[in-house]
Amino acid sequence: DSHIQYERVGADVTMKCGSMDWDAAVTWTANGTDIDESHLNGSYLILKNVDLTQSGQYSCYEGSSWHLKYQTYLRVGTPPKEPVLMCRSNNYPKGFYCSWHLPTPTYIPNSFNISVIHGTREMVCEKDVFPKNRCHIRYLQLFSTVKYKVTLTVTNALGKNSTTVTFDEFAIVKPDPPESVVAKPVPNNPRRLEVSWQNPSSWPDPESFPLKFFLRYRPLILDQWQHVELSDGTSHTITDAYAGKEYIIQVAAKDNDIGTWSDWSVAVHATPWTEEPKHLTTEAQVTETTSASTSSFMPPPTTKICDKGAVVGSGAVAVCWTAGLVLAAYGVLFI
Amino acid sequence: MAAADSSSAALRRRDLCSRGIRLAGKMRSDVVHLLDTYVERQGLDASASVAVVEGVPAAAAEHWDEQTGTQRLLENLAAYRAFRALLAQMLEEQREQLGEADAALGRALAAVLLQVSAFAYHLEELLRLESRGPPSEEGAGPPSPSHLGLFERKLWGLGVLRELAQWAVRSARDLRQLTKPSPGGSSAPSPAESP
Repeated sequence: DSHIQYERVGADVTMKCGSMDWDAAVTWTANGTDIDESHLNGSYLILKNVDLTQSGQYSCYEGSSWHLKYQTYLRVGTPPKEPVLMCRSNNYPKGFYCSWHLPTPTYIPNSFNISVIHGTREMVCEKDVFPKNRCHIRYLQLFSTVKYKVTLTVTNALGKNSTTVTFDEFAIVKPDPPESVVAKPVPNNPRRLEVSWQNPSSWPDPESFPLKFFLRYRPLILDQWQHVELSDGTSHTITDAYAGKEYIIQVAAKDNDIGTWSDWSVAVHATPWTEEPKHLTTEAQVTETTSASTSSFMPPPTTKICDKGAVVGSGAVAVCWTAGLVLAAYGVLFI
Repeated sequence: MAAADSSSAALRRRDLCSRGIRLAGKMRSDVVHLLDTYVERQGLDASASVAVVEGVPAAAAEHWDEQTGTQRLLENLAAYRAFRALLAQMLEEQREQLGEADAALGRALAAVLLQVSAFAYHLEELLRLESRGPPSEEGAGPPSPSHLGLFERKLWGLGVLRELAQWAVRSARDLRQLTKPSPGGSSAPSPAESP
């Protein structure tokens, strides 16, 4: 006979060798290794204060014939602690899902039973294939003030535990983060970044249930975020970026009327447009170039006197332009 | 001419819906503040459960996404007409109970009552654009809570305001459905469709 036997960590376990008498001569093995006689009381195997490492297959053989008389699989574990349960609607108004986990593992199989009650009505929460500890439920009613009561019971061979959460329809609405966030520089605009994103694909009807958005951005070199709340649209132009600095940008979403903000989207990085620095040529080349020029104003090539790395803040851009203009003026004098 | 009238009506409808959505949003915000004030002034627990009370229109709807535009308008109008009467009762109760001692609560109730009346009028205008027009008001009105004890009346008031807050959210959604291109205004995906 083969059995499975579940025992709590720390328990004392006595195993009988099937129907063998107490005084029968037997040999016990654990995972194929003989167990020392000191653990035997007659033909009984005594395991004191069992721990997780003692899980395994225990077999009992009759002394002389080595016939297998009894076999059991010992699983050492714990009864379940109170599970952690949360419910959320990321696809309002279609429905919501509940997911759960145990705060500490039990090391033995657990089964979960979930009940959802709305007023007097018991609803069915359909278990998801993946992830395992999750079920989803379709709303049968919308805009109800009656709270939902969800009870999760976890059971294993050593005990059971349960938890209950109660909430109203609006409170658990939390969209997934916005998707496909893109940030691009704006040509010829050294302080702008154009950000666009899409509604989360799990949000079923953004036209009837529009989302609003929260955008945050900062240059990588600073810790302080700037925030902008946007009540409609899925794009925004940042107009106060520091020139030449790389930015990190994220977006969050919330139903316009109810619920809570989503988590932040995946971060995107972007640097505002900067003018390509011009290289200096020799004076002779400048003279040759300018004497051949037409009457239209053309600034001559200049040395790279504005180091990108040295530029901090928008004022530095004006300094670079000023230097270029001075050199251009010199160029004009030679026309 | 007919086409011009029809497009003019459509524009008017869209305009009324947009303004109605904004009005519903403002109303909800004010009702939520009123709820906080009410709970505090009446010494109630904000999380107290309130049983469903006869005469208070429930915002809860089954098959909400399948309703036609006219159904939405009629249900909303019936609700806000009822709330108009309920809030008037609450205001009178509050004045009798507390008199001038709690002017802030009285003012907040009166402000919401005004918005509810304005919204009801808005809905009547929208129904006039439909061929059927708004129904006449029913005579009896909602039952009075005067038979209830003092504490039960306070809970009753809490129930009224909570349900009104739900309606304000629902109304904004209903009006958005009306602005959708399909004639019935119910082109939201049905619950049977998987995400």
